[in-house]
Amino acid sequence: MRRTIGRAALARPLQLAALPIAAIALTGASGPTGGDPHQRAFVLSNIYFAAAPEDGVCQPIAAGALESFLASLSADEQAALSAPGKRAELEKLMGERLGFRRMALRAGNSGGRSASARLPADLAPGATPTPEQVRAIARLNDFPKGRGALAFQNHVIAYDSCTNPEDFPQLAKGYRTYDGATAFGMNLDDKAGRAGFTGPDGESGVDNQLWRAIGCVAAFRESGNPATAKGTMFSARAPTLIAISGIDDPRNDSDVTVTVMASADAITKNAVGGALARATFDADPDPALRATTRGRIVDGVLTTDPFDIRLNYKEQILDAPRILKGARIRATLQDDGGIEGGFYGYYTLASFYSSIEQMTVNGANLSRVSCPGVRQAIDKLADGYRDPRTGRFTAISSALGFFGVAAFVNDGAQAAR
Amino acid sequence: MKGTFTMKTGRGIAILLAAAATVPLVLAGADRPSIAAVPASHADEASTVRRITEPQYRRAITDIFGADIKVVGRFEPDLRVDGLLAVGTSAVSITSGGLEQYETIARNIAEQVVAPDHRASLIGCTPAAADPAGSACAGQVFDRLGLRMLRRPLAPAERAALVATTLESARALGDFHAGLAAALTGLLTSPDFLFRIDRPGAPEQGRRMVDGWSKASRLSFFLWNAPPDEMLLAAAAKGELDRPEARARLVATMIASPRFADGVRAFFSDFLHLDDIDLLAKDARIYPAFSSAVAADAREQTLRTITDLLVDRQGDYRDLFTTRRIAMNRTLGPLYDVPVAERGWTFHQFPDGDPRAGLFTQISFLAQHSHPGRTSPTLRGKAIQEILLCETIPAPPANVNFAVVQDVDNPTLKTTRARLQAHLDDEECASCHKLTDPMGLALEKFDGAGQFRTTEHGEAIDTTGSFADTHFDGAAALGRLFQRNPQPIDCLVQSTWRYAMGRRLAAFDKPVVARLNADFAGTGYRMVDLIRAIALSPQFYEYEPASPPARMAGWPALATKGAM
Repeated sequence: MRRTIGRAALARPLQLAALPIAAIALTGASGPTGGDPHQRAFVLSNIYFAAAPEDGVCQPIAAGALESFLASLSADEQAALSAPGKRAELEKLMGERLGFRRMALRAGNSGGRSASARLPADLAPGATPTPEQVRAIARLNDFPKGRGALAFQNHVIAYDSCTNPEDFPQLAKGYRTYDGATAFGMNLDDKAGRAGFTGPDGESGVDNQLWRAIGCVAAFRESGNPATAKGTMFSARAPTLIAISGIDDPRNDSDVTVTVMASADAITKNAVGGALARATFDADPDPALRATTRGRIVDGVLTTDPFDIRLNYKEQILDAPRILKGARIRATLQDDGGIEGGFYGYYTLASFYSSIEQMTVNGANLSRVSCPGVRQAIDKLADGYRDPRTGRFTAISSALGFFGVAAFVNDGAQAAR
Repeated sequence: MKGTFTMKTGRGIAILLAAAATVPLVLAGADRPSIAAVPASHADEASTVRRITEPQYRRAITDIFGADIKVVGRFEPDLRVDGLLAVGTSAVSITSGGLEQYETIARNIAEQVVAPDHRASLIGCTPAAADPAGSACAGQVFDRLGLRMLRRPLAPAERAALVATTLESARALGDFHAGLAAALTGLLTSPDFLFRIDRPGAPEQGRRMVDGWSKASRLSFFLWNAPPDEMLLAAAAKGELDRPEARARLVATMIASPRFADGVRAFFSDFLHLDDIDLLAKDARIYPAFSSAVAADAREQTLRTITDLLVDRQGDYRDLFTTRRIAMNRTLGPLYDVPVAERGWTFHQFPDGDPRAGLFTQISFLAQHSHPGRTSPTLRGKAIQEILLCETIPAPPANVNFAVVQDVDNPTLKTTRARLQAHLDDEECASCHKLTDPMGLALEKFDGAGQFRTTEHGEAIDTTGSFADTHFDGAAALGRLFQRNPQPIDCLVQSTWRYAMGRRLAAFDKPVVARLNADFAGTGYRMVDLIRAIALSPQFYEYEPASPPARMAGWPALATKGAM
């Protein structure tokens, strides 16, 4: 079996050549109980915006799109529609007043394909439209010129304050940014400027402008609470794998190789609903979803050098990769084989906005997010990777926390098949 | 009258007619745990009677009618006697409730067989213009199916009765195929189908033997765990099974068949009590990685490991206790804490020195012989003694106090060994525990779900002990001792013989078992050769008269209850 995997690795010379060190391979079918002691691997069960444990901030919380819309109504309308039970009615009114559009492209959505949808002849049934086809669909169905985007796992074309936040600045009116002093993250630029936070453990100069931008949004704060996040499996469908190789001492090792990969397999739940530990995952063969760097382990804490990573983000309604530049991993390797820590790096604005665009404003949680507010704040607070042509920043410092359990990675099996 | 029947009522009566026409029943006396159910024409000649097991029933339906025909329903549970379900098959009854279940299953099968989408291939004829009632067609059907279903030719009277029943039922139901289904249901619930009934044949070298049809069944159920196929039935018809040299050729053919692995699997599933794993449940909070899927795959893992070693590679049975090559899939990988490259079944090789080696370290054994939330050296040791060494361990007295053993959070008695030691301070308990616990404690580095561990409540686990006056440390070492010890071999040989014969070991079996033991050693302990030796033994085909069964005219009444 080792030979098979070796051949598989050789079948991808270009991919491997791009990596500083050959990616980790499965221990092999002759591996001992517990696997190769020089390697550790993990599957991440949740990747989330880590919320700082700080009281007394974000009072009041940032207004969502629906709240901003409600505030824009007359006193009589507000009185009639402010009750929680009127939420759906209020959403409908917002859509009507602001000209939101939402059109299902195929069966499988609630309501199935929109009966009135006019689709281009070259769009095969069930296929995901190309960008050109999206534009054609928007034209054929009288969307505002140049507007509309795919949403809800590419099953819907929508036009609203998330797909086109620039068209609805009024919904950012009640938005606010995070003004606390504490945030998760790392000092990414080795500077301790005024914009920097203090980490929960006292680390100074923490760069996490993304949290500055979105840290008062209720939906992000709730899902970002580490206690909540630990019990949540939110990366199950297309999880991320971390593999560490070249381990001589699991507690202290000055030189290890760390590879972040996308998994081709979903997470299997155990009997109590958590992620099943020590399962085997095939690595996704897409080289874009793989990155390798060096790292070190000090007292059981892994820290890596900066590297660019692309993380699958396919959950619920979203399919929008998270692209982080200059990212580092800092994580605790736990005695039970698990891992807890974060990716700390510059989240590209394009990839973040892509996830925002796919949200649309529908849904109990989503209407609590003001996409225009988020977009404006991020545009203002972005602090990484300035585009020399435009002079604008293209990424924003961020902290993505994660939890993971021990796993085995079958790297190259896809190529072998 | 005909017009007043509901379909269901009409069918029930039709089935009753079928049963009454074909299967007058004799039952064993009330003081015997068995039913000896045979056609009246053969009742006085009845020998050992064995109920076919659920897997055998399912195999029979698939073989006769094809995999498209689904067997839906619950079967009466099999009974383990003297450690084997195969022995229990000659000691089980069919309750009235069980007969209802068989009848429900049979009716469902029969309806599928005559359904329009299967009719052409499985019935193959329709009533002709010259024979609108379908007498000839029904006769053709039962000529073909009767032999396969009853594993012997139909007697002319039986054939005539089935045809008559078909026509009578068809008239009552207004449909030829419905009548055929009713007669088929009767055949499927007849004792000749549900039981294997040996009949006397011509003597061989002074031995009283079963007849050729019974020989075909003995061979087929033993080697394939299935009823005889057309090849075997043809051989029986030609009398080939009565000639040792022809029998040897057939046995060689059967062993070379892919179906032989099914037979080996059936034996080890019974021998190792692997069917019990269906009922296995674990405390999810303590063993979250364990699930019903794990349990099912653990059984499959053991069976695949066995057939790989003993059938595919024609290996030494003793290596089962030490083999580091084990079937594996991704469901089981997490509990073994090993990577699994393939998405389906594959083989994993544990390296030398790994704590996993041999049967004792497989989840099917470790998890099954544990409690839902903790290990049990006593249950594990008892299983080793009883299953693999053919010893009998007495049941614990009713008033035994398990409080110390069950107190898993005892702050001073942190390990199971320590808690068991405290329990052994009671002399009455110690007498049995000293037989079971030393071997069970060797497996303590595997928790109640079969996962490896080195400590219990932070304390290092001691897995030392002794077997056959030899010191060992750990499961792998115990396996090596088993590999060199004659007792597991003796146990396997006599268990295989009891499995083949479907009864307890008798005093008159001693010479044949001794010879099989010697031959087994002579062939390098190859399981294939042991099975072949049994299949070629004249004693395997000897006719063994049973006690004369008491006749009971109860079948029609039971059938009435079942059918209606």
